[in-house]
Amino acid sequence: MTVANANPPKPAVRRPLVKPDRTALLVAFFVVTSVLLLISHAPDVMRNLGPFGDVLRNKVVEALIVSLFLANVLFAYLWKAANWAKLLVGAGSLLVVLPWAGRTDTSLLDLSIQIMIFAALALGLNIVVGLAGLLDLGYVAFFAVGAYTWSIFASPRFGEVLKYYGSNPGTTGSGTLAIGLVLTAVTAGSMIFIRSLHGRIAPTRASNLSFLIAGFGLLSGIILVGRSILVLFAGSAEAVANGINPGFFWLFLALSIMTAALVGVLIGLPVLKLKGDYLAIITLGLGEVIRVLANNLSLYTAGSQGITPIGSASVPWFNGLAGALGFRPDQFYLLFLYVLVLAVIALILLVNVRLDKSRIGRAWVAIRDDEIAAQAMGVPLMQTKLIAFATGASFAGVMGMIFAAKQTFISPESFNLLQSITVLSMVVLGGMGSFSGVILGAAVVTLLNLRILPGLGEASANVSWIPQEVNPANFNRFIFGSILVAMMLLRPEGLLPNKRVARELHHEDDQEDESGDGNASGLEAGGDVYSAGFATTKEDDKTGGDR
Amino acid sequence: MIKTTTRPPTSGLSSTSILEVDALTKEFGGLTAVNSVTMHVPERAIVSVIGPNGAGKTTFFNMITGIYAPTRGSIKLAGRELVGMRPDQVTEAGIARTFQNIRLFSSMTSEENIMVGRTCRLKSTFVDAVLRTRRFHETEAEAREAARVMLDFVGLSKWRNEIATNLPYGDQRKLEIARALASTPKLILLDEPAAGMNPRETEDLKALIRRIRDELGVTICLIEHDMRLVMTLSEYITVLDYGTKISEGLPHQVRNDPAVMEAYLGRGAAAGEYGKEEAST
Amino acid sequence: MELSVLLPFIVNVIIGGLVLGFVYAIIALGYTMVYGVLQLINFAHSEVFITGAVVGFEVFRVLQDSAMNGYLKLLIALLAAMVISGLLNVLIERLAYRPLRGSPRLVPLITAIGVSLILQDVLRFLEGLQGRFDLTYILPAGFGNKFCAAESTCAPVGNALRAIGVDVQLKDVILVVVSLVSLTVLNYVVNKTRMGKAIRAVSQDRVTAGLMGVDSNLMISATFLIGGALGGVSGVLFGLKFGTVNAYSGFDPGIIAFTAAVLGGIGSIPGAVLGGLLLGVIQNLIGVTNIFGNLLGLANLGTIDASYSKIGPFIVLVLILIFKPTGLLGKSNVEKV
Repeated sequence: MTVANANPPKPAVRRPLVKPDRTALLVAFFVVTSVLLLISHAPDVMRNLGPFGDVLRNKVVEALIVSLFLANVLFAYLWKAANWAKLLVGAGSLLVVLPWAGRTDTSLLDLSIQIMIFAALALGLNIVVGLAGLLDLGYVAFFAVGAYTWSIFASPRFGEVLKYYGSNPGTTGSGTLAIGLVLTAVTAGSMIFIRSLHGRIAPTRASNLSFLIAGFGLLSGIILVGRSILVLFAGSAEAVANGINPGFFWLFLALSIMTAALVGVLIGLPVLKLKGDYLAIITLGLGEVIRVLANNLSLYTAGSQGITPIGSASVPWFNGLAGALGFRPDQFYLLFLYVLVLAVIALILLVNVRLDKSRIGRAWVAIRDDEIAAQAMGVPLMQTKLIAFATGASFAGVMGMIFAAKQTFISPESFNLLQSITVLSMVVLGGMGSFSGVILGAAVVTLLNLRILPGLGEASANVSWIPQEVNPANFNRFIFGSILVAMMLLRPEGLLPNKRVARELHHEDDQEDESGDGNASGLEAGGDVYSAGFATTKEDDKTGGDR
Repeated sequence: MIKTTTRPPTSGLSSTSILEVDALTKEFGGLTAVNSVTMHVPERAIVSVIGPNGAGKTTFFNMITGIYAPTRGSIKLAGRELVGMRPDQVTEAGIARTFQNIRLFSSMTSEENIMVGRTCRLKSTFVDAVLRTRRFHETEAEAREAARVMLDFVGLSKWRNEIATNLPYGDQRKLEIARALASTPKLILLDEPAAGMNPRETEDLKALIRRIRDELGVTICLIEHDMRLVMTLSEYITVLDYGTKISEGLPHQVRNDPAVMEAYLGRGAAAGEYGKEEAST
Repeated sequence: MELSVLLPFIVNVIIGGLVLGFVYAIIALGYTMVYGVLQLINFAHSEVFITGAVVGFEVFRVLQDSAMNGYLKLLIALLAAMVISGLLNVLIERLAYRPLRGSPRLVPLITAIGVSLILQDVLRFLEGLQGRFDLTYILPAGFGNKFCAAESTCAPVGNALRAIGVDVQLKDVILVVVSLVSLTVLNYVVNKTRMGKAIRAVSQDRVTAGLMGVDSNLMISATFLIGGALGGVSGVLFGLKFGTVNAYSGFDPGIIAFTAAVLGGIGSIPGAVLGGLLLGVIQNLIGVTNIFGNLLGLANLGTIDASYSKIGPFIVLVLILIFKPTGLLGKSNVEKV
């Protein structure tokens, strides 16, 4: 997978260094780390190892082993090696060794799912921030939308909602449904009509206003329809007392994508006209608004108590397969989610790569580079930004749903600002615009968050001279802040840079030094290393240039 | 407003106008940047808008390309009203432009820059891109082909895979023109294309502009301060001063118009430049 | 509710909002001044201001047993907070923002977010070392009393105010007075001194100001110093008003103050004050108004409480940015093409 190489090798300013073939090293590394991983996640074996087993049980050591193991995949991607070896290591790691180790220690599966969920979030945010250059600080809101979309229906909440409407029908009845349907149809029709008019003649104030009014009409129509449906079906509250049939999981997988994308468009419409820093603060605000709503709409979200238990899909043939492979029934659903999340992230990565190398991807980068020029060249700003927002949001939405199914519990606190910042720090750490980079960033930050910090916290909990208030487990803000600041100051293009971003950030530096040591990355293997160019700072950009 | 009468285009110019700007006005707060300017651009002509610094030329261009909304007035491209359109819609309608201060996409290669210029003519959608449909491959090939043709046309083929902002200055200007041409416009607006160029580069540019008209059939409208270029290249000239059209006509008519001389020489803003031009022709 | 009950209630809500608004206004000045010179949202300002609140807490704590006059303690707290917050702000600019000038806009913005997070945990760490998290202000005796209570010498003033329904505490009055003094001093510094002129020159056009002999780096530092010092003042006032702060409590007032700066017109000093006062009042009004409950079919949107008043400022921010992005007193800024 050569992700960032949009173009075939070309007559370059400078030839890239020829890299040594590392097939043997890669396979050896794979074998060693796999053995380590399998041992360290097999309690039976570790018990026989004495003190060495104790070392392996330590969370920090475990995190190190897991990172070494995951480095396999990274090296398979980066190193020059035979294709069979790359395939063996990549597929072997993720499809065989990891689930196998997870069989004796489900926390490993849990961890891997978390890493991949965050990797998907980072990939989604990467489209918005890294490619289109729109700083979204409320990204986790879309994650929340996906999570709640499933949770409300797949938990006892749905029954509660129906019960509530059953006992408080108000004046709602089948008449309301009819009115609602008519209102929806009429307003939607007029909105489509006005849009088509706008295609032919320039919009006027009156037509824009009517569009807005029709929009409100549509919204109220939908609310009326929704309400009357809830009232009319209130009788079936008992049937769904424990949530809807898990068979709906697949339908909701699609629904969560659509809902999140829709919310992305709805949030994007008013705010995407704004310039960078305003956009940042307003998305931050809207993210908080969604969290506050989740906290307050207690009928649907159970407020700050959170929703639990949340169902998951039941796939009999998969359970059979897992059972045949020696997994215990209580591990089935985790293994299922692991495979699902692996498939989803592969799909997301594919969508990312394909979009990046299309006119949409070029339009995103053009907007990031120079909004005015992009628009003057015929790039529809709003539409292109909305696509970025909606695509990013849909990734978060689907992962939100899987997250809810895995946790079986969600509350508004799972979706606070710090989560958005966490995802941002993954993107920044790995490299804005670089797909492999943000996945790496997600793995590193998630391991820090879930293993290393708690591990250090446990280790220091028994040390008498460290007060509990300064336990390292609570230092995630400090760590994320430091990642953001250190990366921006020292290596703004990230650990595995996208070559375009690196070009933009280092146009005044001597790039030869940079690319020589730091980027032992395959991202540049087929591409070129470009010499320093002109400053790209725009004249009208007042922050630009220390002139 | 000193003279607003439109003189009929003379000599070999086409009598049909591709661009008709009528009574175009832009007010910023209390300031009238462009005051009721009327300009008709004949099809396949090379016309210039000149005037001292701050005369409102770029504002005029920005209104035509949809970046600023005019306070009053109308802009018609081949009979189609453009006022109220967004800049990208104007581009799609057939007006492309370059910028006074070069605005290339700094993280893209020359080829990619031109491919972005082609965006509005590409019909592939989001779904096409994700599913890699045949239409997607066709449009990608079309964009690449457009880039190749345009790079050839402006003579920058050797820079195809070079980062746009690494090109020599004069070539960056040419690349901007190529990027604008990639949208197959009916009319191209060039905002000071010769700014910062040496005489040899300016000669190249002049030839290029003629070729754009002759070979591609694109109408050209330029803002320029280089009077030698304007006088030898343009077939028709409109002069703005303080946002108002003070003169228009064929190059020799404009050159001998006392109002124009007063605008330039009276304030001395571009006196040297214009005077030199006078002496040498 | 009867008018005779409602009116004094509303009056007090508005007055409470104005008092709160002064705190927001002073915080907003820190955002608006930095934005004026660097076009950067200094996300770290909320922590700079909370640092002021923490310093104020420490001063009052250390002096709690001294027989010193309460106003003198307040003065010491204010000065200490101004110095520390001001220097902290200068340090942040020097270490984190200055090296990034000329980078794409996202870069300093992300850095600012990072600095903000780092400071939150550093503050928590420093207080945590002494076993504290929530810091409850130990105010001098009398600060929490009613303004001009019945037994004090200025009782007639207080009685007159209470007669028209205005009921405020002494600390609210102190807060307003300190804010007004700060605003006056700031107005003098910015408009009447050489340094103020230089800062304004830099904020309008850094390049030209540099050519005219203004040391723009020095003036940017000066702006951060002044903005930080105002942050220090507002921190102490915040502590005075709310009684309890912790290392993480800068976020909400920070956002509200930033909204205030935008509402007034970012870069405009009078705008920041106007915006702060307006938002203070708006927030207090939202806090007591059942905005959703009476609408058809929406009764189950949940209880209207303080958490809804938290999102009020964001709604205001969205509305301003859509309809009047230059703010109430800001100048329009057309991007040159």
